[in-house]
Amino acid sequence: MSSLISRKRSGTIFWVLSQNSGITAQSVPFLPFSSLSEPQPGDQQPSRSFDFTNPVQNHTVPESAFLTTSLETSKTPSGCHCYHTLSSCFSGSGSKHGVLSSGHSVSRINISGSEHGGRLPFSLFRRFSTATAIEPSTSDGLTVSGIIAHDWTILDESENDWKSHAAAIAQSIHVIKKRLQWKKMMVRLDVLSAELNKPDLWNDPVHAGKVSREHGSLMGKMKGVKAFEQELLEHIDMIKLAREENDPELESESLKALLKMRRKSKEKELEALLSGEQDPCSCYIEVQAGAGGTESMDWAAMVMQMYKLWAQRHGYKITVVDEMSGEIAGIKRATIKVDGEYAFGYAKAEVGVHRLVRISPFDSNKRRHTSFAAVAVIPILGDGSTRVQINESDLRIERFRAGGAGGQHVNTTESAVRIVHIPTGVTATCQNERSQHQNKASAMAVLQSRLDQLEMARQAQMNAQHTQSLTDITWGSQIRSYVLHPYRMVKDLRTSYEVSDPDSVLEGDLDGFIMSHLSASLDKDDNL
Amino acid sequence: MRLSFTIGHGVPKFSLFLRPTLSRHLHRPIYSSSTLPSPTSQNPQTPLFLRPPTHRATFSDLRKWQNWAKTLALSVGSSFVDMDNGPDSTLLCRELKWLIEDVTEDGSISETLHNEEPERTVRLRVGLEELYKLWKQRIEERRPFQYIVGCEHWRDLILCVQEGVLIPRPETEKIVDLVGDLFSDNQGLREGLWADLGTGSGAIAIGIGMILRNSGRVIATDLSLLALEVATFNVQRYGLQVSAGRGKKRAVFLFSDVIQLRQGSWFEPLKDVEGKLAGIVSNPPYIPSDHISGLQAEVGRHEPRLALDGGVIGMNDLLHLCKGAASMLHSGGFFVFETNGEQQCKFLVEYMETEAGDNFYNVNIVPDFAGVPRFVTGFRK
Ligand SMILES: C[S@@+](CC[C@H](N)C(=O)[O-])C[C@H]1O[C@@H](n2cnc3c(N)ncnc32)[C@H](O)[C@@H]1O
Repeated sequence: MSSLISRKRSGTIFWVLSQNSGITAQSVPFLPFSSLSEPQPGDQQPSRSFDFTNPVQNHTVPESAFLTTSLETSKTPSGCHCYHTLSSCFSGSGSKHGVLSSGHSVSRINISGSEHGGRLPFSLFRRFSTATAIEPSTSDGLTVSGIIAHDWTILDESENDWKSHAAAIAQSIHVIKKRLQWKKMMVRLDVLSAELNKPDLWNDPVHAGKVSREHGSLMGKMKGVKAFEQELLEHIDMIKLAREENDPELESESLKALLKMRRKSKEKELEALLSGEQDPCSCYIEVQAGAGGTESMDWAAMVMQMYKLWAQRHGYKITVVDEMSGEIAGIKRATIKVDGEYAFGYAKAEVGVHRLVRISPFDSNKRRHTSFAAVAVIPILGDGSTRVQINESDLRIERFRAGGAGGQHVNTTESAVRIVHIPTGVTATCQNERSQHQNKASAMAVLQSRLDQLEMARQAQMNAQHTQSLTDITWGSQIRSYVLHPYRMVKDLRTSYEVSDPDSVLEGDLDGFIMSHLSASLDKDDNL
Repeated sequence: MRLSFTIGHGVPKFSLFLRPTLSRHLHRPIYSSSTLPSPTSQNPQTPLFLRPPTHRATFSDLRKWQNWAKTLALSVGSSFVDMDNGPDSTLLCRELKWLIEDVTEDGSISETLHNEEPERTVRLRVGLEELYKLWKQRIEERRPFQYIVGCEHWRDLILCVQEGVLIPRPETEKIVDLVGDLFSDNQGLREGLWADLGTGSGAIAIGIGMILRNSGRVIATDLSLLALEVATFNVQRYGLQVSAGRGKKRAVFLFSDVIQLRQGSWFEPLKDVEGKLAGIVSNPPYIPSDHISGLQAEVGRHEPRLALDGGVIGMNDLLHLCKGAASMLHSGGFFVFETNGEQQCKFLVEYMETEAGDNFYNVNIVPDFAGVPRFVTGFRK
């Protein structure tokens, strides 16, 4: 039975695939794992191994690492042995562990070899191939896409139903694949494999190194996902087996393992959805009322309140930075700071125009009104990022000036500060802090983030919507509609996600909208 | 009542010039407002945000109060503005939010108060009844917001204030900036002895003390005993004087203190340091006597006249300070005085350049953030 053993060698983890766990340590040389998952400059691909397809290569490739391994297939599901190997994070950012564990799935593919009829088993031993891209399955042929196709109802975690768990995990894997741009990745892997198999590749060692590093890194990601799929299928196999053999203990153990996997896959899915560079940042959320007087100012205040409550649910810290109230009710515009991990990653899904239809409480004739509020979100870059350098001399700082003589004559708690960045015309205002000094510091922080955002947009020529400032957002770009009359519904116009209880949404229950949008944005480029 | 400052000028001279030693470093304060130790003295009154949250109310009752208070604030409209340049409803609503911030344990609650479970209870630092009373005072009596909550946010400090002590003004923040700028290229002055005359809540002295920290010292004086008590409270809260509360041993007291408080009229408590000061800063009373009755209600009706009234043309104290500055400062020493505006500034500059003998150089008028000529600065030859 094949098994995986991890060994530690001066800080590097080596994964070893062997046919017999008992003698692994003595008989098998190690593959430095890092050369696959996280190529270091100067790293080279394994040079000597069973390469039936291209013996010439052995002579042209510099020797630096060795892979000697033999694979043997087994008919018995062996998943339980490798739970511990699946800690890999395969969302694409710096995966370090366990990538080779999917070598295991290579062996498994042979079991159900029926699906890749044309390929000879030994082609698996070809080093630079995408053979592992073949979809793994359970002993009775169930695949991950098969699970998705079944469309099993996803119940609450507490309902200990294996189909529900499996469906949830498959769903997460689906999102993760989208995030990795799975199809494109496969094509790219094929290209790279072909490249690596060229006999003259190493004539240009720099290029060869690049190709092999990229190949290694993509293989790592791919194998990580594959291993995860494999694990899912093995649990399913185990459950079926347990039922066949009437072994309730094994069944409950496997169910538990499945539940654990479900939780982890949800985390992975979230990681995949929020893997943008700025996603982990805190952010500012800005809301501005559209035309339409008091009714739309009231709507803007409701939208702002919705975000405050949403932020509170997430345990984020909220600070009102700037707020311009309407004359009668509501706000003309307002800026809040939302402090906490991934605040930007989530909130960016809210950028755009939000529309309200209701009977206005401000209309004595009780007519139905439609009003709009625009939302912008600005990431607050961390200390590590390069931020726009602001010259003191480019700033005009305007402070609230008490009327009359000032000084001892006046006692006011008003200490608003407005800062204008003269070259760009970007401004920031703060009046909610209790001292002028603090208002200035807050306004400077807002200004800094606005300029950073401007710069990011300029540099990347990104037209991504979430980089838009309030002034860029056109009133045409509606993203969501909140109807309170004549029927009650909130509907996202981008994803068609809808909820029939507007109150819950206005009380900050926004995550459904946010997640569906985030995952839909992955669809945009047809990533799967 | 134990007075934690020295009266008159009975401090042994040597003590002031001893270099700070280890003990000062041992008492490293923490600045976060909520974690600062609060001195135990009964008077000064403890500001709301430092009181223990021993009261309880349901969210629904707190909300009821908030709605009532808001309605009251909105009813003001711009009537106070029209009357005497007082606060409008927008500002009063903001103050209401800050009041909630100060009386609740979780200050950010004011943002989401309306969505809390009505029957849940919230812990408060004063009872609901008291809250009704306080807000009534704010609107009906025009009692300054800062006296209601017992503090003023000034620069990055939170200074405790109460009736009888002037609420520091934002204009005055600039005095600390001016001194700070000076320090950046004059190490000598940084290590010297400074005096803040008429310190009130201790604002300027603490602002400078925070910059000096491990180098120079500040003597803060006031004629008002109450002001000195409040200043002591603030100075201790910022760890600039750590020993007064435990004070039998004078020596320890003096080693570890950045700021020392003394009671007396202007230069009178400073006779022992004549000619030895590196800098004098002061925001003395400068409002002409006959303006007092026409002041904004929050100021005229509630703040101490002793802190505002500068005599017939408002310059009694300023002139007194200018006269004394030459003999108090050592050569190269710096002064900055806050004034009522352009007229007083010009008057003082002329005085310093001509009548005060040939004692000063670089005498300048510095405007405040609003562009009003506000400060006179200069150096002792
Ligand atoms: C305008 S207040 C300034 C308080 C504080 N420095 C500030 O800026 O917030 C003037 C202060 O001078 C004090 N004062 C008035 N007459 C004084 C005198 N003859 N000697 C010392 N201090 C005096 C008052 O008690 C008051 O605290």
